[in-house]
Amino acid sequence: MRAVLDVQIQKELPHFDIDVEFKANKEIVVLFGPSGSGKTTILNCLAGLEQPDGGHIRLGNNLLFGEGYSMPPQKRKIGYLFQDYALFPHVSVEKNIWYGVPKKDRPKKEPIIQQLLDVLGIHHLVKKYPHQISGGEKQRVALARALATEPSLLLLDEPLSALDEETRWQCQDELLRLHQLWNSVPFLIVTHDRNEAEKLGDRILHLDKGKSIKEQNR
Amino acid sequence: MRKTLMILCFCCIAFLGGCNKETEGNTTSSSDQYEIMISAAASLTDALTELQKTFETEHPDIQLSFNFGSSGKLATQIEQGAPADVFLSASEQDMDRLEEGNLIDQNSRIDFAKNTLALIAAQNRESGPKSFEAIDPSKLQHLAIGEPDSVPAGRYSKQVLEEVGLWEPLQGKLVLGSDVRQVLTHVEMGNADFGMVYSSDAAISEKVKVLAIADDNWHSPIVYPGAVVEKTKHPDKAQVFLEFLAGEEGKTVLHKYGFH
Amino acid sequence: MGSGDYTPLFLSLKVAAISTTIVFIAGIFFAHLLAKRQFFGKSVIESIFLLPLVLPPTVVGFGLLLLFGKNGWLGKWLLEWFDVQIVFSWIGAVIASVVVSFPLMYQSSAAAFEHVDIRLENAARTMGASNWRVFWTIAFPLAWPGLLAGLVLSFARGLGEFGATLMLAGYIPGKTDTIPMAIYFAVESGHMEKAAFWVVIIVALGFSAITWLNWWSKRNMRRFANEKGR
Repeated sequence: MRAVLDVQIQKELPHFDIDVEFKANKEIVVLFGPSGSGKTTILNCLAGLEQPDGGHIRLGNNLLFGEGYSMPPQKRKIGYLFQDYALFPHVSVEKNIWYGVPKKDRPKKEPIIQQLLDVLGIHHLVKKYPHQISGGEKQRVALARALATEPSLLLLDEPLSALDEETRWQCQDELLRLHQLWNSVPFLIVTHDRNEAEKLGDRILHLDKGKSIKEQNR
Repeated sequence: MRKTLMILCFCCIAFLGGCNKETEGNTTSSSDQYEIMISAAASLTDALTELQKTFETEHPDIQLSFNFGSSGKLATQIEQGAPADVFLSASEQDMDRLEEGNLIDQNSRIDFAKNTLALIAAQNRESGPKSFEAIDPSKLQHLAIGEPDSVPAGRYSKQVLEEVGLWEPLQGKLVLGSDVRQVLTHVEMGNADFGMVYSSDAAISEKVKVLAIADDNWHSPIVYPGAVVEKTKHPDKAQVFLEFLAGEEGKTVLHKYGFH
Repeated sequence: MGSGDYTPLFLSLKVAAISTTIVFIAGIFFAHLLAKRQFFGKSVIESIFLLPLVLPPTVVGFGLLLLFGKNGWLGKWLLEWFDVQIVFSWIGAVIASVVVSFPLMYQSSAAAFEHVDIRLENAARTMGASNWRVFWTIAFPLAWPGLLAGLVLSFARGLGEFGATLMLAGYIPGKTDTIPMAIYFAVESGHMEKAAFWVVIIVALGFSAITWLNWWSKRNMRRFANEKGR
């Protein structure tokens, strides 16, 4: 069977070159490596925010990048949880979550969003602004926002690094639970924390200076 | 702090003094050098610049420096204590103002030049009225003149236009300049159809031609009064310059630049 | 104010309002276009934008006359094809005002857009938002305090513009006499009461614009204060 996500890219960076190849199915793949090993750049290439120099990216039946083509980020249907969540500071939590849902789809998306709010336990936050909620709550809101668009792939860049130890454990469990619920899509998680990598990843890709040095299945 | 400032000032003065000596090759000694500051109407710029060389050669002990501007502005400056030794005005009114305030030496006052008012058009303009009376307000878009309340040339222009009955009909078509130079620019560039400036200004611009000269009786006499400023430190030297200007050499040069 | 003529007030407000609108849109457009781009020649373009700030107003005015005069290459064309005369008209005052206040709007908005976190815009893009929507929902509202500052500065600069306006629009009482011109000629001709009257009016206008900016920005900055201070 063809993998859901098929990535093979090269990109020249100032201090080293990225050259990776990996596939992912409906599982959690962890990109693990020290900071500055090109992990975020890989996610950006997948999301279409940066352009690789060569190679290809396929997601489902779509070619996202390759053969001289690059699909704009708007059309890739990829959810992206940024390292510091990148919540829009000037609008409420509710508006943040609904941002990616086109107006005409809103009535029929209502149940999905409600389910997301239930699962993440953030019903009580919807009227608040990002600066009024805690780090853990922000993380959950950002997850809800990324999943509200019903993406075919979810990218998570150091999703838990901004949280304290206790919240982190809680959120790791929650991520796993969420993936169970949404297990039709691959999760690609970037982390530099070994414990986290081992707890979350179905598969761990060890990266160093842009190269994949080891692939580990659990 | 103050000491440093003082020293700095001295250095500057010394430096500037040094510069002056350099630029003037013919000065013999710097101890009896007098600097005379002349506040002069802007219309005199070219004539005075030419006269400066002759005068300084004849009077090596006197060095001239100029402050050109509109007569009204210069008079105000003098009223407020700006340094000036000689005031050369383009209007009697401004000189009268200073005389009433005892800011000039009445005995030194002299009319050193006369001027007339000209109707001008851009050099390349094909047709135009041959006289002031022939101006047809319906056939022109804009006539540029000096602002009557602040520019002397403007005041005379207004008198002329009133005399020939065109002041009212031309309202809304009169572009008022802040000085004569601006009036010239508007005409030279073809933005205003016609303009009114002193004959002397028309004479130095190659891009305008004179269509008509206003009759002397239509406006109050355009004379250029000059006087020694009361507060001067060198009244005799200032007087020397004024006499030179009113004398033969001064007249010749002034004539060359369109004054009478 | 013997004459009771209020044309300078209305003309100044009209000119400043129209020029500020033009400058606001153009400044935002160019600032947003260039803010997050780096390319060869960008600093040259920015220097050209800022030139009117450096040049004396009369030089700007002379340049505008060369451009928009009856025989200037833009002015000639406008006159022939659209029968629009820029020189000695209130439109000339608008153009002079636009040219001198554009640099202020450009600088303020460029700084404001550069401060908007690019990741917020990227996050919006990954959620399917078009560049147009990203601009209106993210960049514009987040840059708004800076844009507003630029707006007020441009308005103030436009309102006070004198040198270039006098050259291009001329001084035709009742037609192209803005408040600064009224003040200038009143002072020049010794009509100090008239000058003082207009000074009071222009100070009141400028003062209320700046007070309004301070009030507005304090009210609105507070909301993002925590997020931004993080």
